[in-house]
Amino acid sequence: MLSHFSAVLLFSLFASVVFGITQRAEPKMMVRFGAYCFVLFVASVIVASWVMFAIKH
Amino acid sequence: MPTPAQQQAQQISQRIPGEKSSLPALALLLGWLIPGAGHLLLGKWVRALLLFISIFGMYLIGLALLGKIYSPNTGDILDILGFAGQLGLGLLFAFAHWFGWGATSAVNTLADYGTKFLVVGGLLNLIAAVDAHSLANGRKAS
Repeated sequence: MLSHFSAVLLFSLFASVVFGITQRAEPKMMVRFGAYCFVLFVASVIVASWVMFAIKH
Repeated sequence: MPTPAQQQAQQISQRIPGEKSSLPALALLLGWLIPGAGHLLLGKWVRALLLFISIFGMYLIGLALLGKIYSPNTGDILDILGFAGQLGLGLLFAFAHWFGWGATSAVNTLADYGTKFLVVGGLLNLIAAVDAHSLANGRKAS
């Protein structure tokens, strides 16, 4: 069974691949944009997690 | 000497060379029914494979996490929105509906994640199908 974090990683990976392919025209730019989206997805989750932790404690 | 309106019409026709053929509509329809099929039709097989793996992967994970498969007739506006999102999965959603895959309600946190995987997978498939349409009619360069 997936952990919450591994689910986040898979979600980010798959969504970033689709965003990269559909939002850019050149293969090199697709890879760059996909990687950018992936980093933003994961970083956003980590930041949101710490914010929720800080609110709770 | 062409008028500005004629020049604009000529530019548009040059930018959208395949607009009058049925290829864009076919790429859109196939891309919606089967993830990546629109790109495969246009000969972009690497993109088609990556799109298929990504969207089918989200679909499988969503089902494995016992995500909810929405019905359109519950009367709840959120259920209708979820149904609209999952409808983007095309045949994959139809199979889940026909064969009773997934769950009728999300019973825990991971099942809720699974529901999100299914809805977002459907929305991503719609984006991919529209991208195939744009490639076919020339709006997207390559």
